[in-house]
Amino acid sequence: MDTNAKPTAAKRTIGVATPDPVLAVEDLTMYYATRAGDVRAVDGVSFAVQRGESVGLVGESGCGKSSIAMALLKLLPENARLIRGKILLNGADLAPLSDDEMREHRWNHIAMVFQAAMNALNPVYRVGDQIIEALDAHIRSTPEISMERVRELFDLVSLDPGFIPRYPHEYSGGMKQRAGIAMALACEPDLLIADEPTTALDVIVQDRILKELRKVQEALYMSLIYISHDMAVIAEVSHTVGVMYAGRIVEWGETVDVFHRPIHPYTQTLMSAFPSVTGPKHELGMLSGEPPNLLTPPPGCRFHPRCPYATDVCRSEEPPIVRSGSHWAACWHPLDGAAA
Amino acid sequence: MAGYLLRRTVQILLTLFVFLTIVFFLVSAQPGDITRLYSMDPSLPPETRANLQELFGVNEPLWKQYLVHLKNTLTGNFGVSFSLYPRTVGDVILERLPRTLVLFATATVISFYLGFALGKIIAWRRGGWVEYTSTLGGVSLYTVFTPWFGLMMIWLFAFKAGWLPIGKFLDPVVWRDAPTDSNTIFNLMLATVAGVTVVVFAVAVATKKKRLAAAPLLQAGAITVATAAVVGVWLASGVGHLAFDLVKHMILPVATLTLISFAGTMLLTRNSMLEVIREDHVMVARAKGLPEKVVRDKHVARNALLPVVTSFVFSLAFAIDGGVIIESVFSWPGMGQTLVSATVSEDLPLAVGAFVFVGIFVLVAHLAADVLYAYLDPRVRYR
Repeated sequence: MDTNAKPTAAKRTIGVATPDPVLAVEDLTMYYATRAGDVRAVDGVSFAVQRGESVGLVGESGCGKSSIAMALLKLLPENARLIRGKILLNGADLAPLSDDEMREHRWNHIAMVFQAAMNALNPVYRVGDQIIEALDAHIRSTPEISMERVRELFDLVSLDPGFIPRYPHEYSGGMKQRAGIAMALACEPDLLIADEPTTALDVIVQDRILKELRKVQEALYMSLIYISHDMAVIAEVSHTVGVMYAGRIVEWGETVDVFHRPIHPYTQTLMSAFPSVTGPKHELGMLSGEPPNLLTPPPGCRFHPRCPYATDVCRSEEPPIVRSGSHWAACWHPLDGAAA
Repeated sequence: MAGYLLRRTVQILLTLFVFLTIVFFLVSAQPGDITRLYSMDPSLPPETRANLQELFGVNEPLWKQYLVHLKNTLTGNFGVSFSLYPRTVGDVILERLPRTLVLFATATVISFYLGFALGKIIAWRRGGWVEYTSTLGGVSLYTVFTPWFGLMMIWLFAFKAGWLPIGKFLDPVVWRDAPTDSNTIFNLMLATVAGVTVVVFAVAVATKKKRLAAAPLLQAGAITVATAAVVGVWLASGVGHLAFDLVKHMILPVATLTLISFAGTMLLTRNSMLEVIREDHVMVARAKGLPEKVVRDKHVARNALLPVVTSFVFSLAFAIDGGVIIESVFSWPGMGQTLVSATVSEDLPLAVGAFVFVGIFVLVAHLAADVLYAYLDPRVRYR
């Protein structure tokens, strides 16, 4: 790990009081090595997740949301490198752990629900057996107890226990995702990461799964990181939201606050890019330009090339942290009278 | 599944019919006929010549001959071999087919295991010395000129080192006072191997179903006990040394066949593994905190197995006639050699009979591949 590197955003702490953080990420930085150079997918990200808290990460595709998820589990592709930062899970740093040491934490402490479009279930094994496999990897028990646990889990996510010995291809999309959630809950993890779990599902199924997820999260008093590009979904499941842009968190705070009174211009544009079905018709806010190339991110505030309020200082200096009520943002020209 | 099997069997019978037709007309398209072999003899009186033609039925119209050929083949009557007169073709094939099957089935199974195990490793650790050595070695052996390699094996292990016999099926000296003939011993050996396989497989299935923790131990125990029992019985039978002689003669051809063919399975496994590794459920398996070996063997290799099994079954089918070269080099009296000698000596009934058997075997292997595939991949359920 490169300890001499300049900590660009390490000092950014979150505004929420931290009585019992399950997860504290400090200055997490992860690059993908490509032929053209390093892609700075996650660049100095810091945040904390409290016990029982549901956090949403929102942003355009390619902004580093999923990279954070994979970095937390340390399931990195071969060309990815963790440059620096800490991943404190219940106070212990996961960043320096070897793959073998990490195995103990995976699923046992941090579990993940994958995108519905992904084939998260192995096609040649029965779904029940795949859940039992996760249990067996972490908990010593008898086949009977494991089976009983699978039945409980199926019950928890409203799946017919008759489907325990069935194969994944016999499940519908929504059922597969419920099975994915049941599998993720198998070892009662402290933290559940849900990476766009409902993106490929139709809205009715999506809504049911979201309600289910919320219910389960509250019932088990589990922490949840919900990753999505859909603001409406995040609004439904998360207490706290983090808005990501180009590998950084640009705004963070209580969901209601952030969505009603955004202080970062990017959050505001993102909000206005979503149509309202019931409200009056208006021109959708269009974000001109493309997200920046993370091989050579723009200096200063990374949003400045697309920001309507950008000035010279945005183009050269890292933006300061400004606060407003429960939330903070990294911006030179915050909206809504926020102050540093 | 039963309906599917039935439909597939009907398809196979139709294919077999087409195959028989092609074989018949190909043979008929050759200049002259079977009787020429004898009737060209100038010392033969004309009436004998006519009698011969009458006897073989070559004066009959082609369609009539064809119908007779079909009827005979389907009733299991392949006629009488010319070169091995008065033995029937069916008898010759029944004697030779098991020899070839054993030789090639053994070699194919070993090369499949070796190739699959190596393929798994080199797909997992790309770029290491294991990959370079096994790929270079495997491909060299895969592309080597087979007769030369067979002769080199004989030269090295049989002639120079003297560890193994030089070709042939048995050592006549050992068999001089044998109480039974080699075919009986050989078939008994086959039956033993089949029995052991069934026992081991049954134990494996039973322990897997019960999800016993001691399953690997029980399976290893079953294999040990079965092997020990078999060795004990053969030693006590008084013909153990004869069986050992046959085994000794098998080692070199099996080793040669394995070495020249394992690279195919290895590279296929490697490519198949690399495709499966990219799949999402493999990442999920890792996220579940499973050890790398479990991810590799249980999740990746199990899925990568599917195309490999297909190629395995097909290569079994080609084993019969693919053995022409190896059987000739090692003087192994199997189907390959029978085909060659039947063709050379214009023993048409035997050649046709051998072809028909190869065809039937290939078709049955295809059916077996389908069934195996449905068993291995739950998504494939034939209706």
